[in-house]
Amino acid sequence: MNEQQKFSDEFLNAFVDDQLTPEEKAQVYARLSGNEALNRQICELRKVRDLVQLAYKEPPMPTRGMATLSVGRKIGLGVAAGVMLIIGGITGWFLHQPSANQVASVAQQAPGEDTPAKVLFHVSDGNTEHLKSVLDDVEDLMKHYRRSHQKSRVEVITNGEGLGLVLAGISPYAERIQKMQKEYHDLTFVACQNTIERYQQELGLTAKLLPGVVIIDSGVAQIMRRQHQGWAYIQG
Amino acid sequence: MDFFNFLGPTREAKARLEQHRLRLYRIAYAWTHNAALADDLVQETLAKALQKSGQLRDPNAGEAWLYSILANCYRDHFRRSRVTEEIDENTITHESTPEKESSEQQVVLKVREAIARLSEGQRQVVTLVDIQGLSYMEVAQILNVPIGTVMSRLCRARHALKDLLGDFAPRTAAEESKIRRIK
Repeated sequence: MNEQQKFSDEFLNAFVDDQLTPEEKAQVYARLSGNEALNRQICELRKVRDLVQLAYKEPPMPTRGMATLSVGRKIGLGVAAGVMLIIGGITGWFLHQPSANQVASVAQQAPGEDTPAKVLFHVSDGNTEHLKSVLDDVEDLMKHYRRSHQKSRVEVITNGEGLGLVLAGISPYAERIQKMQKEYHDLTFVACQNTIERYQQELGLTAKLLPGVVIIDSGVAQIMRRQHQGWAYIQG
Repeated sequence: MDFFNFLGPTREAKARLEQHRLRLYRIAYAWTHNAALADDLVQETLAKALQKSGQLRDPNAGEAWLYSILANCYRDHFRRSRVTEEIDENTITHESTPEKESSEQQVVLKVREAIARLSEGQRQVVTLVDIQGLSYMEVAQILNVPIGTVMSRLCRARHALKDLLGDFAPRTAAEESKIRRIK
């Protein structure tokens, strides 16, 4: 695909919804850096998607109250609430585990063969040693999935000081990240637009991202969206 | 899980289905914009799912299956009431509240109004993909249409929504009234 050719709208939508093959995704990534129009187009599609999600996050409930299956409304709700509590408890448990254990527990969750495991790493700390251990964790997880033939989608979301991980000329692990991107097509590195803007304003520098890094409007919003979609969260 | 064994297998199935209720309701509401009807459709869907739950070997793979039951219930509902309502003419309106809403609430209402203006097919596809995060393949199976149709509907739906919603920042009175003049 040469520079003049444009991606079709369907293709970009599929990119935003993560429905492309790794090769196709690579085509888009390759064109993303430095192409402002394309970035904007993708950003707009994401925005529409986020708005739709937002619009139905809390739909109005029927005035008579929700029906339940014949278990009886109160018991049914109780069970549902109990289940939610358990899920909440488990999630909370994962959130409080030290990193290595988190990765191990997430890796052990075995969704069905066709459903990909969905994991996000949140990186907000810029400490070099710390970043190394995050990349180690990500790589271990990707290896694990590859070994067990488990489909997966893994996102490393950087914001705050963590943004340094994906900045060209600043990241101590630029080469390693590029190698990982090449090796694992289901792995995406994501940068927060808000942080980039803040960085540029405060330091008066132009933030240049490593090739293949995707920009999203807000790191925090992305994390919320992903969790809402059932992604496992790991504090990197 | 011991908790479920204690309740017995039927209760286990019910409890598992109940977990899906809110997610199904969200979609049903997005399709109909009518809380009571959405609740009925979800109820019907879960009841059917419970009846047929024996057919489902992997309980975790059941979500797409539930949505296809919901899509059938939805279609059947309009087929039953065809005498009075034609699907394509079934422009859904949104019960907007005139009271002063928070700005987030205004955005929410505006988006719902825009969704209500989409065609039936576009609305179904865009909500299944965006709200539920389902893959194109799953949506194609749920709605029983080719995957190419899913993609083109989604593309047109997002395009229309982008136009309808415009930029949220300058919300002028003229813009407001244009969007309000739906039905």
